[in-house]
Amino acid sequence: MDDNRAFRVLSRREIELLRMQGCFAEDWGLIEVADGFDPACVRNSHFSGRVRLGRFSDNVRLPGGFEKPSGIYNAVLSNCTVGDNTRISNVPDRIANYDIAERVCIENVSTMQANPGATFGNGVEISVLNEAGGREILLFDRLSAQFAYLMCLHRYRPKLIEQLRRIARQYVESVRSDRGQVGTGARICSAEEIIDVRIGPFATVNHASSLRNGTILSSEEAPTMVGVKVIAEDFIVAESSSVTGGAMLSKVFVGQGCQVGRQYSAENSAFFANCEAFHGEACSVFAGPYTVTHHKSTLLIAGLFSFYNAGSGTNESNHMYKLGPAHEGKLLRGTKTGSFSYLMWPCRVGPFSVVLGKHSTNFDTGDFPFSHLEARSDGKCAMIPGFHLTTVGTVRDAAKWPKRDRRKDATKRDAISFEVFSPYTIGKMIKATRRLKELQDATDRSVEEVSIGGGLVKRLLLRTSQKYYRTGIEMYLLEKVVQRIEAALDDAKRNEKAGSAALQDAVYSPDWVDIAGQLMPRQRLVDLEGALETGSVATLDAFDAAIANILRHYGADEWAWVRNAYEEVFGVPVGELTAEKACAAARELLRVKSKFLNLVTADAQKEFSESSRLGYGQDGEVDDVERDFRQVRGLYEENQFVLEMNRSIEQLHQRIERIEQAIGRQQGTKSICL
Amino acid sequence: MSDVERRVKEVVARTLKIDPGRITDKSRFVEDLGAESIQSVELVAAFEEEFDIEMDEEEALEVKTVGKAVEFIQKYV
Repeated sequence: MDDNRAFRVLSRREIELLRMQGCFAEDWGLIEVADGFDPACVRNSHFSGRVRLGRFSDNVRLPGGFEKPSGIYNAVLSNCTVGDNTRISNVPDRIANYDIAERVCIENVSTMQANPGATFGNGVEISVLNEAGGREILLFDRLSAQFAYLMCLHRYRPKLIEQLRRIARQYVESVRSDRGQVGTGARICSAEEIIDVRIGPFATVNHASSLRNGTILSSEEAPTMVGVKVIAEDFIVAESSSVTGGAMLSKVFVGQGCQVGRQYSAENSAFFANCEAFHGEACSVFAGPYTVTHHKSTLLIAGLFSFYNAGSGTNESNHMYKLGPAHEGKLLRGTKTGSFSYLMWPCRVGPFSVVLGKHSTNFDTGDFPFSHLEARSDGKCAMIPGFHLTTVGTVRDAAKWPKRDRRKDATKRDAISFEVFSPYTIGKMIKATRRLKELQDATDRSVEEVSIGGGLVKRLLLRTSQKYYRTGIEMYLLEKVVQRIEAALDDAKRNEKAGSAALQDAVYSPDWVDIAGQLMPRQRLVDLEGALETGSVATLDAFDAAIANILRHYGADEWAWVRNAYEEVFGVPVGELTAEKACAAARELLRVKSKFLNLVTADAQKEFSESSRLGYGQDGEVDDVERDFRQVRGLYEENQFVLEMNRSIEQLHQRIERIEQAIGRQQGTKSICL
Repeated sequence: MSDVERRVKEVVARTLKIDPGRITDKSRFVEDLGAESIQSVELVAAFEEEFDIEMDEEEALEVKTVGKAVEFIQKYV
């Protein structure tokens, strides 16, 4: 409500009318109304303390086009302001110390109260990863995945942690208030108790059981929903998210575009952009962007995840009945755990790996992406590095994540790099290839298996895994270089300028890091942390700007990395490629990428194999198996994904042909400047 | 039985841990001998080591029976 707007006390006649309509005020002199106030819209209500009422001249519009008159009906209001055309109805206990904006609808709420000095979930400390403490995140409603990650995981830089906590605390103080707020257009229906909860514009709170000490961020373009039988305390739920279906949250941050429901319970956990959590349980979890857990028997505990898919019955141990729940695990981006997989913390799993079975040893395969990690009958981890590089699931995931970004608010708090193949993964693959080669050379043929960080790799597969990685490395580097060749051929001059400008701004590091979903050269991170420690980045705005700047430079930084890696892998500097070498790179890309796409398609074909038909044709004859399978699964040749892969191969051929022709037309050109 | 055929069958029996007597030229690796995808990878690696060759992954995909494996490897050795 506009604080500068003129309000007046009620006239005698208005007070009389209100009394006749069943209203009561402890002191009518403290009740103020806006110009145009209509007492007919206030009935059977009780006012205490200072109350300001807006003009009630229009109906409140509810979902489905339904409309109800604005006004105050059968409600108890204490020290509240109520905006224009808001409806408050059936609040038998009280709404106390709230500023309620325009066009809000509050119905059938028992109690809604803000207490002095409330911070609305801001300032709550949650013990993520290490359940025993030591990695606490201080919650606040502008928390990003990147801020939380540094606060949680970079404890080896105490000055940094001190500065991050100072910034967070400063923000917490800025929101401390004796009054709660309900934003414009919010709808709160049939809630039992709402204590110290700030509710953003256009949020819906529908049949929630108990909400205490929290913030529901929301906006018109990104409305947020808190639904039936939700019990939440010490929480923040961000824009475009939904928390519904009896979810139970205690000390939980739910970032933008998340879905939490179907009786999910979580404590001391943070979920960042686009997470999905249903049925199961989370305890001390750092769920980075796109962490997905859908099943009832899945417990995520004391772990770091992102772009993660938890199979049913996934479980981890962080305790082992010794010095308490002190262990933690890290599943790097893109990991999947199969049904009833079990991991014993501490453990670290490399990006885009697949974990199957019950592992009862600790291992660290963090530098071996796309690995297959399967528990043997003795509980040890059998590992095939790079095995999942060409599996159909990886390719499908890469395509689906950007399409499933549910964040609708203009401000996207978490910085996300969606790339599966990036300097982060390819850098790891280059290092992994070297390590595998060293092991291959150093291991006698009589040895059956070797240990890599606790994962046991069959000696025979050391060479196979190098082949997998080589395919990924070559495809990525060639693709990036050929993209540059194409751009250079399109507009040589413009590209030359753009290229050099981009490189001037680029930061090169041999190693890249994944900061809760954002990929960056390690040097960018070191610079940011240095700036935080020295105080040159000292505010939340400055931090967010620095993160946005790093995200903006992803392309330039990536290219700086590719140039170095290409030279290292192919022994060819890419600054100025001769026409001949550019053609050779394009042809090589055709070979490697076609091979990759063919291997992915072949993996998809397994889904149509004879063993995939098991159980089809229920109660029918032998021929019905095939008929049933065709009806349900379709034909391999007609499968959408397979068709798409085939199209990609066709387009790749055409693309390379175009490049060769374009290079041919520029025969006078000695070299192509990238 | 050629030397290649004998060695191919030995590798298959050793890798898949099955009775060599079950292995015929017509045996299909997946459907008849139960080679799961990981075992298929191990088979290729074992052939590579046994015959000191490098099998192209794409071409290897087309090798679905023991007989085809023998033919395929004979091209390399």
